[in-house]
Amino acid sequence: MTAIDVSPAALAQQGDLRRKRFLKMGLIWALVLVFIGWCVQGTIIEDTDWSRIGGRNGILASVGRYFSLDLGLLPELVIPTLETFMMACVGTVLGCFFSLPVAWLGAANVTPSKAILYPVGRFLMVLSRSVHEIVWALIFVSAVGLGALPGILAIAMRSVGFISKITAEAIENIDAKPVEAIRAVGGNQFQVMYYGILPQIYPVVLATVIFEWDINIRRSAVMGLVGAGGLGLLFFRQMNSFNYSGVSMVIVAILLLILLGEVISHYLRKAVI
Amino acid sequence: MTEQTTTPDTIGAADAPKWSRYKYPESLYKHGTLLLILLFLGYSLHFLNVDIGLLIGALGRFAGVVSDRYYPPDLEYVLDWGYLASILDTLQMSFLGGFAGVCLAIPLAWFSAWNVSPNRRVLFPLGRLGVISCRAIHETIWTILFVSVLGFGMLAGVSALTMFCIGFAGKLFADEIEAIDMGPVEAMRAAGASSFQVFLFAVVPQVRVAFTGIAIYTWDVAFRAATVVGFFGGGGMGWYLKRNVQQLENLRVAAIILSIIVMVLIAEFLSGWLRAAVNRAK
Repeated sequence: MTAIDVSPAALAQQGDLRRKRFLKMGLIWALVLVFIGWCVQGTIIEDTDWSRIGGRNGILASVGRYFSLDLGLLPELVIPTLETFMMACVGTVLGCFFSLPVAWLGAANVTPSKAILYPVGRFLMVLSRSVHEIVWALIFVSAVGLGALPGILAIAMRSVGFISKITAEAIENIDAKPVEAIRAVGGNQFQVMYYGILPQIYPVVLATVIFEWDINIRRSAVMGLVGAGGLGLLFFRQMNSFNYSGVSMVIVAILLLILLGEVISHYLRKAVI
Repeated sequence: MTEQTTTPDTIGAADAPKWSRYKYPESLYKHGTLLLILLFLGYSLHFLNVDIGLLIGALGRFAGVVSDRYYPPDLEYVLDWGYLASILDTLQMSFLGGFAGVCLAIPLAWFSAWNVSPNRRVLFPLGRLGVISCRAIHETIWTILFVSVLGFGMLAGVSALTMFCIGFAGKLFADEIEAIDMGPVEAMRAAGASSFQVFLFAVVPQVRVAFTGIAIYTWDVAFRAATVVGFFGGGGMGWYLKRNVQQLENLRVAAIILSIIVMVLIAEFLSGWLRAAVNRAK
């Protein structure tokens, strides 16, 4: 502990600092609040069709439609649930394959050319993360047609950004000594990677992949909304036929599937780390 | 690599058998799991009716489709005033959704952090359940549900983004609270503070900076989600995307996707800069 200076001059200076900080925080909060007021005015007050909502009873009535479960849908749920789960698994594995070269290009210490390929790798990471999975799915549906394949590809493309970014960071933070040792005994580029780098980044990458797999289950549950199969397609059909209890049944199935994914990923991560 | 029969680990152990690359139970478990995963993946491809040839050629086809149909992007369309206004709408929606979500996520995170939860029997599971169910349901599904209740428009989009942000920020906040130094908490408890006072004076000062950073990051992620809530009727840029996708105006779709990428890049840069500023100012 350092001694606290309690001379009047120091106290006055401290009070001054505190007042300045208080003013600054107040200014920031005032700006944020004004901005929020403007947003509320623009989006909620002007843009909403209040007569369509129809007061509290109208809202309660339309929410109430969802509070029942259509148990007759149960047999139809099994196959889409499996499809969703499998789409997430295959998409994650494919995403890992895609992210290997991207991570290789985008890690500053192993990239083959720092001037050209490093920015390309970084750009691919950002591109993959900035395009939403629904947009990826739309593009792939138009490229390879309807079915599970565009969903798998969309999930894979969307996973690349996160996995390769963490992997590249892990590669940049490795201990350089094993790499140099392997170079010194005459290992080639591939051997350096396989024996020097891979064992060091392996746990980080595996934990990231498991985390991403967990998120991908959520994503694959909505792929059907744009024509890629799974639970999303069933959800879309129930919604379009105004079978609200069927909609809540599908949501329950999604919740259960995600809960299962969360439990599995929890234990897997414990086993890995 | 040359053949190796001993490693430094086994030199000291006199009773150790000859070194082998494969150890009996561990290697079996490891390779067995790998084999099972591969089998499962293969079966999944079969079950999902995936055409392997199509899968292998998919990236080539993707490049072909992009260069045939989506090039050159119709940039004039995205510089139109109506579209630029929708970008502003999207920004407002993400900001409101992020703010409301963060405000609601803080009490939920307080309830669902095991170490300072005010009531471990009732409020802890309630907080956990709230955060998990907000997280579990994808933002597009939230949008569809809110549109069916509130009608088309930005109110539904903002509500959906709020739910999304509760799930996103709530988990990060709770993790942050669970990692705090328990000393001040114990001191305040020993002095007889109520759990709200403990939260306000022992927890908040420790997590203030981290929370600000997470809140800014939440806005960034909410903006990414806000670009597509319009696709399902939530207002903003997504609405233009849907209209042009359905009319097969591919060049306009390409321009819209490009504009989304540019906006997300700007948002990411801004949030990174703000987070760095917050970290510097602490």
